[in-house]
Order: sequence, then C-alpha cells, then structure tokens
Amino acid sequence: MMHCTMDDVLALAAGEGSAWARQHVAGCAACRAELEALYQRVARLKALPARRPARDRWPAVRDAVLAERRRRRERWGVSGLAAAAALAGLLVFRPFWTKPVDAAELARVKQQSATLEQQLGRYDPDGRVTSGRSAALAAALEDRIAVIDGELAQLGPVPAQAHSADLVNLWQQRVDLMEQLVSVRVTRAAYVGL
Amino acid sequence: MTISLAVPDILVARAQSGDLEALEALYRAFETPVYNLALRVLRRPEDAEDVLQETFLEVVRSIKQYRGEGHLWGWIRQIATSKALMRIRHDRVRETEEFHEESAVGAGPGAGAGDMAGVGAMGGAGGMSPGAVPAQIDLERALERLSETARAVVWLHDVEGYTHEEIAEQMGKTVSFSKSQLARAHVRLRRMLDEGVAR
Repeated sequence: MMHCTMDDVLALAAGEGSAWARQHVAGCAACRAELEALYQRVARLKALPARRPARDRWPAVRDAVLAERRRRRERWGVSGLAAAAALAGLLVFRPFWTKPVDAAELARVKQQSATLEQQLGRYDPDGRVTSGRSAALAAALEDRIAVIDGELAQLGPVPAQAHSADLVNLWQQRVDLMEQLVSVRVTRAAYVGL
Repeated sequence: MTISLAVPDILVARAQSGDLEALEALYRAFETPVYNLALRVLRRPEDAEDVLQETFLEVVRSIKQYRGEGHLWGWIRQIATSKALMRIRHDRVRETEEFHEESAVGAGPGAGAGDMAGVGAMGGAGGMSPGAVPAQIDLERALERLSETARAVVWLHDVEGYTHEEIAEQMGKTVSFSKSQLARAHVRLRRMLDEGVAR
C-alpha cells in the first residue's frame, strides 16, 4: 500500500492536498498519525522559548548612527563651503552683470550664515535627548537648507545673469533657516513657523 | 514564544524624525523577536547578535521609508530575514552541521521527501549504528541539526508564517526548492525526534 509522502502531508496541512492524498488519509491511520505529528511539531516549534542576546547591541547601533550623523553634517558643511566658494568666484570673475549682485549685502548674509554654522558646530545634538517634535522640526529645517545649498551649488562659478538677482535672496533664506535651526537645536523653541 | 509587538504610532513618528530615545525604544521592543529569528536560522548566538545589530542599523537608516502599511514587525522582520539569509549565502556561518546532520540520522536516498517511500519508511530505523546509545533529543536540538537552509525554511514557513513564494523570493530560489527543503527537513526532524538520535 502506498502512503503519503511528506510532501503530501505538508500539502494536506496547508489545505492543498491532492484528491488522492485527501482520500488516502481518510482511510489510513498511519498517514493520519503523520499529519497529526506534523501539526504537533509545528505547534512545538512555535512554542520554543524565546532567547535573549547575551550582549546589549544597542550601544553599538547608537554609536554607528551617531557617527553617520556626524559624517553627514561634515559633508553638509563642506557643501556649504563649496557653495560659498562658488559665490566668491562668481563675484571675482563676473563683475559686469547687467544687474550686479550687491557684494556688500551678499558678504553680510554669508558672514551671518558662517556665524550660525559655527554656533551649530559647537552644539552637539546627538549628545542630548530632544522631543520628537523638536527632532522633526530640526530634520525638516535641515532638509530645506540642503535644498537651498543644492540650488546654490547648481548656479556654479559662472551663473547666468538671470540668476544674479536670486543670490542674495537664496543666502538670506539660508540664514533665516539656519537661525530657526539654531533656535530649535539650542533653545528648543516650540514653534518656528513650519 | 508570545511577545507583544504593538508599538504606538507616535513612537514610530518620533523614530522617523531621528529621535534616539524613540529608536532605542523600538530596538527594545523588537530586540527579542529579531534575535530569535536570527538565532533559529543561524544557530550561533554570535551570528544572531550580529544580525540583530545589522538589522537595527538598517532600521534606523530606513525607518523614514516605512509608510505604516502593514505591521511594523512585518517590515522589521523582512530586514532581519534578509540579513540572516545573506549570512547563509555569504557562507559566514560554519558549515559543519550538514555533516553532523547526515551522519547522525543516516539520511540516505530513501529519506528524500520526494520519494514515495511513504510514512512507513519515514519511521524506520534510519542509520543508527548498533553501538549508538539512544538518547532523547528535543525539538530545539533537532532543529539545530538541520542544515542552515533547511532550518531557515522551517522557521520562516512554520513559525514566522512566510509562504513558499515569499521564502523563494528571499532566498533567490524557486518555490519548488522551498517546498522540497521543508519536506526534507520535516522528514529529518521526525526521524530525530522519533528515534531520539544520540547527540
């Protein structure tokens, strides 16, 4: 007499048994016992006791996350410097625009931006616990600043004339956002207009 | 193993904003199930701990991509499973157990799940040497004696509830492969448990 294979038994347990297997198991005590043993084995597998790791791996995860954040901030600082260098080159090499950039105003907002960068650099947000709201605000501000940095970088060292009027405006926006970020990071202001 | 895996939405939102305290709370909530999944698949505690760490690094990096569709545990489990299976694929785990498994149960061609030897053959004497001292072996130890792939399929299918299609996709294999591995694994588990294979 041919019995069910384990494939047949597993298919039966999954409700996918063939017509032959279903008919066979109805009349075969050995195969019914095999099916019951499978159910019990699976139930016992599910009931195996939970183990706990011998070592706490969270500190390692946290340290890696903090290191990644530091690296990201450093890259962000470098991209800010690159944008500033691009603007400096722009001022030196294109002084004859139809609508020249207000060099004094540009220098002023750039200086403001640099000062705020230094302020943020002295502050270590990773060493502090912030509220979820503050963290979300800071992340949103950083994203917006990154977008502005991207726009500044895209202007390149020799921007089109149409861009010239936007430069001071972009830097001013950056300063505004940086001020808000400092506010969230340092003073944890509850509302920054987002 | 019954563990509550429900986490408040606000905790997830805070974690998505990068809040370290919230991320640690998620780690604490899912540390045990992730570790157990990895441990059952990989067997060695050190490997399971490594997978736990890799999984949560990935969780922290990608948590913003979690859209709240489906249970968070399902999303984290997918990452953990992927990391554990990657370890198997990259051969980082010692490959000695296959030998022990084969020599312990004496699984010959007749033990293949696909053959038509039937349940009568499954319950046979196997390859126990006459001098071996029969000993009871519990399910946990029997599970450990399976090959990594077979153990992974058993755990993912029978305990975690993955379908064969999902397992095949995760492993980069066919559905038939997954089904075949599960059947062979159950034949072996049954033998080890019935015969009380000695160590």
